[in-house]
Amino acid sequence: MFKKILIANRGEIAVRVIRACKEWGIQTVAVHSTVDKDSMHVRLADESVCIGSHQPANSYLNISAIMSAIQLTNAEAVHPGYGFLSENANFAKILEENKIKFIGPSSKLIKMMGDKIEAKKIAKKYNLPVIEGSENGVSDLKQAKEISKKIGFPILIKAAGGGGGKGMKIVHNEKDFDLSFSSAKTEALKYFGNDEVYIEKFFQNPRHIEVQILSGKNRTVHLHERDCSVQRRHQKLIEETPSPLLTNEIRKDLFEKTVNMVTKIGYEGAGTVEFIYEDGKFFFLEMNTRIQVEHPITEVVTGIDIIKEQIFIANSGDTALSQEDIKPRGHAIECRINAEDPSKNFQPSPGTIGICHLPSGFRTRVDGAIYQGCNITPYYDSMVCKLICHGRNRSEAIQRMIRSLDEFVIEGITTTIELHKKLLTHKKFLDSNFNVSWLDNEKII
Amino acid sequence: MEIDKKIIKKLIDTLENLKKSLKGEDIFDNNDPVEEEIEISKTVVKSPIVGTVYTAPEPGAKPFVSIGNKIKKGQTIMIVEAMKTMNHVPSSMDGVVKKILVEDGQPVEYDQVLIILG
Repeated sequence: MFKKILIANRGEIAVRVIRACKEWGIQTVAVHSTVDKDSMHVRLADESVCIGSHQPANSYLNISAIMSAIQLTNAEAVHPGYGFLSENANFAKILEENKIKFIGPSSKLIKMMGDKIEAKKIAKKYNLPVIEGSENGVSDLKQAKEISKKIGFPILIKAAGGGGGKGMKIVHNEKDFDLSFSSAKTEALKYFGNDEVYIEKFFQNPRHIEVQILSGKNRTVHLHERDCSVQRRHQKLIEETPSPLLTNEIRKDLFEKTVNMVTKIGYEGAGTVEFIYEDGKFFFLEMNTRIQVEHPITEVVTGIDIIKEQIFIANSGDTALSQEDIKPRGHAIECRINAEDPSKNFQPSPGTIGICHLPSGFRTRVDGAIYQGCNITPYYDSMVCKLICHGRNRSEAIQRMIRSLDEFVIEGITTTIELHKKLLTHKKFLDSNFNVSWLDNEKII
Repeated sequence: MEIDKKIIKKLIDTLENLKKSLKGEDIFDNNDPVEEEIEISKTVVKSPIVGTVYTAPEPGAKPFVSIGNKIKKGQTIMIVEAMKTMNHVPSSMDGVVKKILVEDGQPVEYDQVLIILG
């Protein structure tokens, strides 16, 4: 097993990885920016190295500084967490060349699945249903229009190198097409350095369903699905497993097809295959080649520590799990606690945390990096911690989540806690009668 | 060093005003520096949020404003990034840019003065 792992991340996910390493007796190295010197991940790690200033480009995205930190501390492997360099094929390649293990798939696979057009072709090749649209990138306006008319409006123009909702344009009718097409190309070039775009049918009321997989050289297993349909501006807010909507028949089909594709591409590590689900049908969206924020809900229903499995696969090349080992029990929900003000259009709310009381009790888990007196700076993501509750069934999980949210006290900053209380008691959530655009169309707070 | 010079110049000005007020009988002379302060506080644009300031729409691009530029009320003068959200900072009035007090990429606090208008 590895003797020392460097965690190229910050916040709650860095703490999560450090905890897993500690339990296995693996030494940990935290890297941090100047403003993060008092962060919890720095305090919990065995060693820490300051790698740059507050701006991510100078620190958490600074590959050469991280390489120096690896050299200084003799770390054997790097856990990238999520965000930052976790899906950066160049970073993975540099590590490969320097014989440092990247805890994740090969740089080749990261690159392959990072190109959205390429990923869609692969999904189609291995029989996953894909969203109707252009097979390749389209550069010609006339051709783009022809394709769109064939699919039928509304359509979506997406950047090949894209993600995070940027460079994405919804076009509702033909007359708006020309303008949207040219601005999508301009934005794609600006954000991703590549003006290649492709066209897809736009779904009006979809749910977001994803399948967690763990894969080694020996086999691929799935850890069932997660339903992440409570979103605001394409950002997940509440996730749950199992999905209240899927039938066992659809579920079986979804898992079989996903595992088949992941096996065929020779994937190694943890990954998530994301789908759009509408009217009883699922369509491949993309594959995330890293750990995800919402992984704990899968952990609490399956009893499997996904971070440890990632480390195990990175070290041995194989997964120790077989499909029979994975028997999820009950229902789990995660609420993301963000430092933002839902009543002011989710405006960021940085500041110093005063009183900080975390909920606890039966089947309540908090994954975070906050403590009384810690400073939530404005330089990084607004998510400060996650609350995960497990119940025998969905209604017990909801009851436990409401009870836990009631116990939660964070003073000094505005958070999404109050919004979550309203959402969890909302009829639409209780009936699971909503889609990904619910919060964009209805003001709850 | 620039700040030092400013402070020294202000000190000299204040001293001169003091001298004037001592020589003459007009007590209103004393109010001059105070009036100037009030004027300054009215013609500045401050950061609406704590975060990282960007003086141009993207790296390497032309800055939103330069010294001597005539700007209109509502015109974007800078961007302050807080928790991955880009907040455009509009000018609160028409005017000419006299001074730019921040550098691209620098951290800024809530209410920190970004530019002085004339």
